[in-house]
Amino acid sequence: MGPIKRLYVVTGKGGVGKTLISLALAKHLKDKGHKVLHNSFDQGTNDRLCRDLDISTWNSSLEESATIYIARKLGSETVARWIMKTPFFVSLFNMIPGLGYMIYLGHIIDLLRNDPNLTIVLDSPSSGHLLTTFEVPSNFRDIFGSGILVQDINKMEESLNSSNFLKTLIVCLPHQLSLSEGKEVQEKLLNNNIKRTELLINDSLSLIPDLPKKDLPPFLLEKINNETQLLENFQNIDKMVKIPHFSSLDEKKIIMNLQDYIKGLV
Amino acid sequence: MIKAKPIEIFCGTGGVGKTTTASSRAIYLAKQKKKVLLITIDPSLRLKEVFGLNDKMAGETEKVTHLNIGSQTPFEFEAMLMSPSATIARMIKASSKGELLNNPIIKTLTKPYGGMNEIMAMIELSQKIKTQKYDTIVLDTPPGKHFIDFLEAAQKINQFFDKSFLDLFKYLGKSFEGSRTQTLSKKLIGGIVTKGVKKLLGYLDKVTGQAFVEEFIEAVSALYQNREYFLEGLELEEKLKIQSFSNWFLVTSVDQQKITQAGKLKEQAIHFMHYDNYLIINKTLQRQLDSWSPETETTKSLKESMSYRERKIKEFSKENFSRILEFEEILSDSPSEHVLKLSESWDNTSI
Repeated sequence: MGPIKRLYVVTGKGGVGKTLISLALAKHLKDKGHKVLHNSFDQGTNDRLCRDLDISTWNSSLEESATIYIARKLGSETVARWIMKTPFFVSLFNMIPGLGYMIYLGHIIDLLRNDPNLTIVLDSPSSGHLLTTFEVPSNFRDIFGSGILVQDINKMEESLNSSNFLKTLIVCLPHQLSLSEGKEVQEKLLNNNIKRTELLINDSLSLIPDLPKKDLPPFLLEKINNETQLLENFQNIDKMVKIPHFSSLDEKKIIMNLQDYIKGLV
Repeated sequence: MIKAKPIEIFCGTGGVGKTTTASSRAIYLAKQKKKVLLITIDPSLRLKEVFGLNDKMAGETEKVTHLNIGSQTPFEFEAMLMSPSATIARMIKASSKGELLNNPIIKTLTKPYGGMNEIMAMIELSQKIKTQKYDTIVLDTPPGKHFIDFLEAAQKINQFFDKSFLDLFKYLGKSFEGSRTQTLSKKLIGGIVTKGVKKLLGYLDKVTGQAFVEEFIEAVSALYQNREYFLEGLELEEKLKIQSFSNWFLVTSVDQQKITQAGKLKEQAIHFMHYDNYLIINKTLQRQLDSWSPETETTKSLKESMSYRERKIKEFSKENFSRILEFEEILSDSPSEHVLKLSESWDNTSI
């Protein structure tokens, strides 16, 4: 296994278990002695869980990141704060949310460049958001054409595309639609030159170890059968990680269990 | 039975079966011989998988019949995968400013993930309503925060035009009808703001380069010249709040790990919703779980963890919603069979 990556992005639709998986990954890296920060991309934090697991977090808002960026470009924080408050910029950011995502991602990449020992695990909002986020740099390069912004965009893409920098984990549930969406996201990321991705199937009943079939009612047998069939149909996807349903009500315990399944992914 | 309205909005956090429930509603209404249009704004476009639609037809309406999904009962309706670039092309074509389509900024922003999805969707929807061809338009919205973006889209555009761009254009010496009707006091205020705009453009120029500023102004003026479309979008936004005009369905599902997200969504959307809003709990297995008495430790804890999710979601629902629809999980591996079975669930809704 090579060195660990600098940035891990966990994506997928809402409620597939991205947060717990991203926390498990951060926890695993930390326990192995790496310097790790967990980030939830401007969506509120999981303070209690992070504290319980002793995971350090880094959080910023899209607006804060944009202010910092503009301040650096123009050499004045006061001007940057003024610009961010002008109706023009407020509406620009509202109209083109991708611009904010790009600056935010740029902020994270900057943190990583400034500290070669740091790794960040990013709990990304949803796959649609992620595609927008990863697509904006090249979109905005087309738009801007020249100027210092383009140099920054190029630097950003250089980082994202360099080997050992980024890995994206796409989480889905064991349903037909969820899986084919995961696959589609993987393909679209590849089109954006994001090559290192992994597909994770979370919460599968069919993978619970030692489940006594005799003690299962027909509806569960059928559900498990469907899942098994589905996983077989998608077998040809390389590097698909399958995670069972954990029959536990305790999130911390689930995170601990998840670590066994994701440690191979770093 | 829930009475059909001109617009029926399906929203949810994503991965909850929003597209399948919206599709099932469209089928259900189409079977009653209503004229239905089903639009999906969700950029993941799962709709095409359900009905075997053609990707290349994105942005155009396509006819869907019982034959698409192997149903015995005949029905037909129209379906459309939202395409922001098709919407803007129609808009700009109608105003015969074809060359604007080549503006690199407009081109980029109206790509499927370009970031103007929600705004274009609101415009498309208002245009489709104008045709008066449909009894009901069923809307499958983008997940989570994108849905709020959708609801607020027209407002944002209005802000965009109102507060900043008239000033910008005045400064640049471009003439627009709007600026002729300015009152003296507005002009005075405008003068002050214009100075700010001048400064702002200077900064923008420094960061982005001159070419961008020019193209940007061209792009904005293209949008501005088509502002009546955006204003119609704004009107629609207001109409969505009228009870006789819309039904709201917030979809959530038992296999969701973060039930609080649905609550958050309602909180953010509540000022758009009226009394006719329903929570759909999808994929419930409560009935089956209740009648299962497991005997081993493993199966007991499995039942407990599955029932726990059902309990959590129902507690949440009762606290937040007065009208709840429960749809049982359909155990079928084919998406179209799934939708078909789900459409029968609407018969049993007793609200």
